[in-house]
Amino acid sequence: MPELRIEATVNGRKVARAAKPHLRLLDFLRDDLGYTGAKEGCGAGECGTCSVFVDGVLLKSCLVPVAKAQGTTIETVEGLGHAGGLTVLQQAFHKAGASQCGYCIPGMVMAATAALRANPLASREEIKERLGGNICRCTGYQKIFDAVELARDVRNGRRPASALAEEDPVDGAFIGASVRRLDAPSKVSGALKYAGDMVMPHMLHLAVLRSPHAHARIVSIDTSEAEAVSGVEGVITAVDVPGIDGFGVFVHDQPIMARGKVRYVGEQVAAVASEDPLVARRALARIKVVYETLPAVFDAHEAMRPGAPVLHDYAPDNIVKHIPIRVGDVEKGFAESDLIVEEIYSTQQVEHAYLEPEAGLAYVDHDGVVTIVSPSQNITHHRHMLSRIIAQPISKVRFIMSPVGGGFGGKEDMVYQGMLALMAMKTRRPVRLVFTREESIITTAKRHPSHTTYKMGLMRDGRIRAAAIKLVSDGGAYGMSTEGVMRKAAILAAGPYSIPNVKIDTYGVYTNNTPSGAFRSFGALQSQFATETHLDICAEKLGLDPFAIRRINAMRDGAVTHTKQTLKSVSMLRALDATEQVSRWETGAPTSRGDVRRDLAGEGTRPPCTLGTRFANSAGKDSESEVA
Amino acid sequence: MLICDEYLTPTSLEEAFAAMACHRGECRIVAGATDLLPWAREGRAGDVEIPTLIDVSKIPELHERRADGKRVRLGAATPIQRFLDDPALAAALPAMPRCAVWFADDQIRESATIGGNIVNASPAGDGIPPLMAHDAVVELAARRNGSIVRRKVPLVQFITGPGTTTLAPDELLVAIECDALAGYGGSFEKVGHRRSLVISIVCLAVLVQLDGAGRGFEDVRLAIGGIGPVPRRLTAVESFLGQGAVTAARLEQAAAMPVELVASRTRQAYRRDIVRGFMLRGLIDAVRAAGGGTLTPDLARDLEAVYA
Repeated sequence: MPELRIEATVNGRKVARAAKPHLRLLDFLRDDLGYTGAKEGCGAGECGTCSVFVDGVLLKSCLVPVAKAQGTTIETVEGLGHAGGLTVLQQAFHKAGASQCGYCIPGMVMAATAALRANPLASREEIKERLGGNICRCTGYQKIFDAVELARDVRNGRRPASALAEEDPVDGAFIGASVRRLDAPSKVSGALKYAGDMVMPHMLHLAVLRSPHAHARIVSIDTSEAEAVSGVEGVITAVDVPGIDGFGVFVHDQPIMARGKVRYVGEQVAAVASEDPLVARRALARIKVVYETLPAVFDAHEAMRPGAPVLHDYAPDNIVKHIPIRVGDVEKGFAESDLIVEEIYSTQQVEHAYLEPEAGLAYVDHDGVVTIVSPSQNITHHRHMLSRIIAQPISKVRFIMSPVGGGFGGKEDMVYQGMLALMAMKTRRPVRLVFTREESIITTAKRHPSHTTYKMGLMRDGRIRAAAIKLVSDGGAYGMSTEGVMRKAAILAAGPYSIPNVKIDTYGVYTNNTPSGAFRSFGALQSQFATETHLDICAEKLGLDPFAIRRINAMRDGAVTHTKQTLKSVSMLRALDATEQVSRWETGAPTSRGDVRRDLAGEGTRPPCTLGTRFANSAGKDSESEVA
Repeated sequence: MLICDEYLTPTSLEEAFAAMACHRGECRIVAGATDLLPWAREGRAGDVEIPTLIDVSKIPELHERRADGKRVRLGAATPIQRFLDDPALAAALPAMPRCAVWFADDQIRESATIGGNIVNASPAGDGIPPLMAHDAVVELAARRNGSIVRRKVPLVQFITGPGTTTLAPDELLVAIECDALAGYGGSFEKVGHRRSLVISIVCLAVLVQLDGAGRGFEDVRLAIGGIGPVPRRLTAVESFLGQGAVTAARLEQAAAMPVELVASRTRQAYRRDIVRGFMLRGLIDAVRAAGGGTLTPDLARDLEAVYA
């Protein structure tokens, strides 16, 4: 493999290095030069976390073969400020609260820098357009655009430099004041190290062999050829687990590596470690796994039927959890009702798509403490589970939570930390694993797909007499957070409405799909989607305004929930009032409207996406006037 | 992951052909690399091992950009962003700035090349319909029997199917030549799942020139992508529009004509809806651009009527 000789100027310093020809500029900057401010969020040019300037032009460094860097001048986020200081733009990101998890922020800062270099007077629309190649999952973008506008105005003298400074606390109190985040400078400067940015001497890289089958018995695994590859330092499978295998948030049904059988496509079967990630990756092809495929089930309702393929021996009915709630007598309530409305609602699987793919670094320290650094959202629970799995006392297991580059619930499960621990124990060397975006999507928990059957009985005046709700969720191949999600879905299934007769059943079901787990709202979204849509349909059938039907049934101060909790104070009516006002709601039953709704469009409404703000500029339309 | 043993960066056509000859069958040409690197990932091609990559983006001839009154000549390695920021190109290729602004994003457009877009031959390749509307011809070169031989092929003939072209294994796409259409009104319509970084579901290029009276078409050129295996010119619509005044009724009639051409593998009903809307909006925008703010009052009224 003839190496390339790369001579370039990076952040003002001359660099001359040999580089493997297949590297991308991103690999060269991060791994060879240690500029980890450029992140890898997708590796496919979609997300913009890796943006750097090459000869003054902003590029996505994951799409640039390193050979193209020869003879160029490169600027990374670390090179923007001088001697650790922050540029006006970085200060504006700090002030505006434009960073949350921070993983997209170096790329955002770079794209915003490029935008203001191209047009120091760029309008908000032009800023949006020029930042179009960068994705953020936390902020909703508005704070980022605020920050770029603030920087533009300070640099053009439209706002004073003091606009970037911390605001004084109100009457000495920070509550109610706009306080800058303490951790923002490390994010806007690219200094913050996420797990995938961390390195240790003699560190190995882990590559994972994954199941191509949704459901199959593992007949045999032969790792001998992979182990014989020069440069391979270790191979692990389920046989390397010394203790009681099994993890999960509620039920410990998932082995560190597939044991006896695989239950979904992408499940980890074996892993290889090498100093060279390419060697580890290539060695995966040398592992011989013989599978005997088993019938698989991909639909939660089918999985509940007798005779369906069984995923876990302990659960022959494939039920992870059934949560029943009974209040009053629903049949009586339906009999008393003037109107019965029955509908079915379904929601789909959703990926969290945090910008930071899962990553971790594990080592066994000088005292024999197995240490795992990872963006885990649940380190104490992980520590207890791992202690049992690796048969070590809790004092010999340590979890360190690295900065979480977005989690949203998706990093609650211990899906890869166990593999890292096993490999560190086996090789006695530090081991790092960084998921590709594809691995992250294929193997980690998703939002539960749901199917809700809703039957509601109402009086002609809109009062709800009874609701029978059955929500069936596809939990996928392992339990993960399914039990908790089903509990919350059940508790909230009938919404914040006082209903005398309620029957709720939520079911989390095993299937051979990608496991479902925690995701923001944790089961509430699925049942609320059903409840609120159902109420709109009921309002239409009763000729009521959708706000009115909610006000009639809303829980009020002192209400008792369907699970017997007394609510001292309920803000439901105030929330309805506020929503009705800001949405400029056109009062009336859904059936009362003509062809045109007057509450659509207007002030505060987002216009459709357009592009081409810069054409308007070049046509003589002054972007400064938009600025002012 | 794209894995290669060797990455060569020739700085002349001679060097490039020598490298191609030396590594025949074991090499792949790369220019911007913006499609190649995402292609070599899980879910698409997976890990790809190619012994030798030959990067042609540093060959000066492939960066040539010339536009005179009649013809435009573009080196194949011209980055897409130049259609947006080079005023000479924008003037000669009136639909291309709009095409470019919808193409990927600002960063990728600095690397992605027009030649790469053409040889990829995607059914939805954004750069292809506008160039077809310009009657583009691609110039292909090879070194045979010790000397460089060139041939020119009309773009509409060069692309033969999804991802397939008439490029021979020893050939390189070196340049694109097309009509300079300064003074034409141009428009480009595209829809995808979001604003940036999307593959077109449908894309449409419109180029029009109004006659002296400003009431008829002197010339109309339309090309569409995303509705079938290859992007194509809409010649029947062009000749229909060329034979009468620009009126609301005739534009609406023209807009409905290509609907029946939708032959995509998926989402045909959606695409039919889009095609009609794109045709109307594209034609109206192009006519307005061609009029340069001096549309006759009755034409302006007619256009408003179509929009309403």
